[in-house]
Amino acid sequence: MASNLCAIRPLARLKPLIRHQRCIKLRQRAYATQQTIPNQGQPPPPPQAATLEKAHHSMRRITLKPPPPAMYNKCPSPVETFEASQIAALDPIGSRTKLFSRSNPDAVKVGDILLVRTRSGDPFAGVCINIRRQGVDTAILLRGQLTRVGVEMWYKIYSPNVEGIEVVQRRAKRARRARLYYMRKPKHDIGSVENIVRQYQRQKAALGSSDVKGRDANAHKKKNNKRGRN
Amino acid sequence: MASKHPLPPSFLPSNILFPRRSTSLRPPHHPHHQQRGIKSISPVRPNRFNHDPSLPPLGSTKTAAYNRLLAADTLPLRTGALATKSGMTALYDPVTGARTPCTVLQLDRNEVIYHKTRARHGYNAVQVGCGWRQPRNLGRPLLGHLERAGVSAKKEIAEFRVKGEKGLRSSEVGASIGAGWFQEGQFVDTRSKSRGMGFAGGMKRHGFGGQPASHGVSLTHRSMGSAGGGQGSGSRVHPGKKMPGRMGGEQVTIQNLKVLKVDEENGLVVVNGCVSGPKGCLVKIQDAIKKPWPEVLPGPPLPETVAEPLRATT
Repeated sequence: MASNLCAIRPLARLKPLIRHQRCIKLRQRAYATQQTIPNQGQPPPPPQAATLEKAHHSMRRITLKPPPPAMYNKCPSPVETFEASQIAALDPIGSRTKLFSRSNPDAVKVGDILLVRTRSGDPFAGVCINIRRQGVDTAILLRGQLTRVGVEMWYKIYSPNVEGIEVVQRRAKRARRARLYYMRKPKHDIGSVENIVRQYQRQKAALGSSDVKGRDANAHKKKNNKRGRN
Repeated sequence: MASKHPLPPSFLPSNILFPRRSTSLRPPHHPHHQQRGIKSISPVRPNRFNHDPSLPPLGSTKTAAYNRLLAADTLPLRTGALATKSGMTALYDPVTGARTPCTVLQLDRNEVIYHKTRARHGYNAVQVGCGWRQPRNLGRPLLGHLERAGVSAKKEIAEFRVKGEKGLRSSEVGASIGAGWFQEGQFVDTRSKSRGMGFAGGMKRHGFGGQPASHGVSLTHRSMGSAGGGQGSGSRVHPGKKMPGRMGGEQVTIQNLKVLKVDEENGLVVVNGCVSGPKGCLVKIQDAIKKPWPEVLPGPPLPETVAEPLRATT
């Protein structure tokens, strides 16, 4: 193999030799320098043991205490943890979470007509044109009419001031946009949803509240809170 | 007197034969003795060097400033802690239904590293570290510093000024500080580095009005306009003129934030409102200096700290 290498590259053996020679030269130079340093009448350098000890001391291995368990591992997403604890308190049965959950096929989608009952004031109905999902801060934007004037209202779905959210009518076809802001234009404005809501309420009364109760976010809570507070 | 010496002629002054002598050597015999000589007409000037043991101590010294600081009671009685900003959310009051915007801060492995003392460093402060960093990424001086404190390698280190020895004793070196250090309902001050905006113009950085959109304005709608007057004001730009430049990325203190929730298990402190800086930034939390100090468990008893005696010069 080596002979083959030599045959292919005749100078292949030369390189290590040159390298070796360079090493020798360097070593010789070092000797020369050492000898040329004048010994200015000083005592010889301290014994090697001391220098070794000093070197050993300066490079002493510093060992620190192992770190305590990281909070990050315990709670990797603090905001979500905090929000989950709040949602558990504000929506104990999880109906509101389910009503707006992405994984629920029957969840509210943009374009649906919703009726929101609040602790104070009249209920408000309108088309849901935006769902802003943000944990406990999740909010919906409803567009309806009051005194023939287009009105948009934001509702925080987990707010204790919101007593219930009902789906009045579902959109026939899935909206192909996440935000239906085009419905503000006169061409697309749905106008008043009063008739649809009235019809829904009539149906609800005829059927009895058993059917619509499931859709209602917290119908039972409403009755308790209606007069007691404020 | 007159009998012993011959009288001078009447046109000459009476004391021509008896020149005035130095008052220091011989005080005037007569209380109404008239003195002649060169007298300064300018009023007597006070001593240029207002230095005398009987004078009140100077107020413009470091010691005096420190004593004023103690008297003002604006130094926290205990150390603060380091946290990471996790983000913002809202807190709902189940009774009133009120929504409060809040910031979630997470405390991670806070440990006391060192005490800075008035005698040695000029002020009392507690050095606190948080998080963890690979020790191989720390320098040997810092490793030795941490080793002496008996704490693990720290990612971030900061110090919190405290009042006197008692403030230092509230947290011993090596002690760990968790979210339970703060109580729900107390007020805190937060310090953090604000979001860096880069090089920003005058409108964004200082709220300048810009220039009109029309009326002959071209290409300078957002520029700062004039930088100062002409001859009347020296034909120069005055120092401190607000101009475009680097915006943000500097420490911002937000005072009097209420602690809404404390989750000791997860190291969470939820404060009211916003805290400057992006998510994940380091936040220094300490008791609010403009509110009553929170009631904490009493530490080891200590003798009352005595204010340092005022000295005229420092």
